[in-house]
Amino acid sequence: MAEPEVHDKLLPLPEAVRKFVPDGCGLRTCGIGMRKPMAFTYEVIRQRKKDLNLLLSGWTEDADLFIGCGSVGRLEGSYLGLEAFGLAYGYRRAMEKGIPRSIQIEEYSNFSMTMRFLAGAMGLPFMPVKSMLGSDLMKVEAFRHPKATVLEDPFGSGERVALVPACTPDLSVLHAQRCDEDGNTQVWGQLGDDVWGTLAGRRILVIVEEIVPSKVIRKDPNRTVVPGFRVDGIVHAPFGAHPYQVQGYYDVDVAFRKEYAERSVTLESWQAWVDEWIYGLDGHEADLRKLGEGRLARLRAKREMSGQVNYGY
Amino acid sequence: MATDAPPAAPSREYKLTELMAICAARELKDREIAFIGTGLPMLGGMLAKATHAPNCIMVFESGVVDARPKRTPLSIGDACLVPGSVMLGGLLEVFGLLMQPGHVDVGFIGAAQIDRFGNINTTCIGDYARPKVRLPGSGGGNDIGSLAKRTIIMMKQDAKKFVEKVDYLTTPGYIDGPGGRERAGLPRGGPSAVITDLGLYRFDPETKEMILDTTHPGVTVDEIRANVSWEIRVPPRVRTTKAPTKRELRILRTKLDPEGIFLGG
Repeated sequence: MAEPEVHDKLLPLPEAVRKFVPDGCGLRTCGIGMRKPMAFTYEVIRQRKKDLNLLLSGWTEDADLFIGCGSVGRLEGSYLGLEAFGLAYGYRRAMEKGIPRSIQIEEYSNFSMTMRFLAGAMGLPFMPVKSMLGSDLMKVEAFRHPKATVLEDPFGSGERVALVPACTPDLSVLHAQRCDEDGNTQVWGQLGDDVWGTLAGRRILVIVEEIVPSKVIRKDPNRTVVPGFRVDGIVHAPFGAHPYQVQGYYDVDVAFRKEYAERSVTLESWQAWVDEWIYGLDGHEADLRKLGEGRLARLRAKREMSGQVNYGY
Repeated sequence: MATDAPPAAPSREYKLTELMAICAARELKDREIAFIGTGLPMLGGMLAKATHAPNCIMVFESGVVDARPKRTPLSIGDACLVPGSVMLGGLLEVFGLLMQPGHVDVGFIGAAQIDRFGNINTTCIGDYARPKVRLPGSGGGNDIGSLAKRTIIMMKQDAKKFVEKVDYLTTPGYIDGPGGRERAGLPRGGPSAVITDLGLYRFDPETKEMILDTTHPGVTVDEIRANVSWEIRVPPRVRTTKAPTKRELRILRTKLDPEGIFLGG
């Protein structure tokens, strides 16, 4: 049933984090190499949330920061690194030396995580997948018993599949291009795992570059990935995925990502980065002011408009 | 990537990263569907399309089919892969609908460790519970190695990377030898080539063991042996990897990675 008080969905970022992210939250964020909710990440860290259980296949600076700042108890996923920029040193310090605390991780492959979210989104307890078979991903467990199991086709083909358990985050956060005030949310460009990953969430928070009139959404409904009645909260945060890209809005800030990769190598210089960019700023607006209008203007996307289609009948 | 020239090759006119990208390109045939990650494999894919395999289709795991990027993508999710592609979806479309049923001919993966049967570790060096080096993990590597019709592995080589037993088996090669993949329930595939900074390797169709195929110009068989920690099989006469052509180098340097992001500055 649709919730009646739709206008209450729009919240400032700090309030949304207070409302939707309790300590111990099973948290899915979004984006594989793009559209990462970094403003949200910084705010969760500022509010010093504890014992989060992170759920996503492709983690980068986001999880590196959460882990380094001591916000994480467990992580389920398949990748944690800085892509072309190198290894994630906050993660390495936690796994190799227990700094600032030990965390438990349960590892799957990317596609297995896709199927786990899909199961969650579809209300199924598990999904079959043909990856993981014969690898240590099947055998090495941290806190899920079993984390995966093998099933022979009950219909007699003799084929075997791995079964992976549904993943249903307490909160799924989606950084999207736009939504209307009901939360009908549109994303374009690469979708990663974000359609089913978002819908697998018990609650859904969308963070958008733009809030548009409902008629804009209704003009192009094929682009909608989450219907508003599933959305619990909306945050308007332009440039909220910086230094990542949002298709049609801004490009990756290569210098920023490179600087993080360099400064995260030692604990001291990483701590200085966190003090400078997270604890030393009181929110997303302060973050944007520090980046400066010139830098943001240079990142703004060029126009590369889609064609139009006829929805008529 | 290693750019230091070994002593036997004092005057090479190209970087080893360039040769690796070129070797990757040469592994692709025209009209193949190739699953590509960022870095050297992507340069290889783009180089193949610009030379002998113009109809090769590059698929990226975040959801892009037939990408034609106008600049060097930094991430599998890079927005520059989107304009000009033929189809966009997500991991479900690319892994679930294209790769799992067997429509992807070749996939590329990197590795921190590899064993004689082409099993790969990208998870950790040392003990899993308290690793010496914690690496990023599977990502899509396990899925590519499990589901593509064949895989090509690209990595730096030394005796600590070419190991008797991987510290963690992230992505299956031929597991324990002939029939290993079938016993595990994998549908197809397995590694077909390993491209390193020292040479090119293939796998014996019977024993599924890695065999030296060619040594890169200036690299000796003794150097190969010194950088493999098991007794690597070496054919009686080892050929040398064909050196890069001027055209291959020109396309790589001027069109595909002019800033040297993946080839090195």
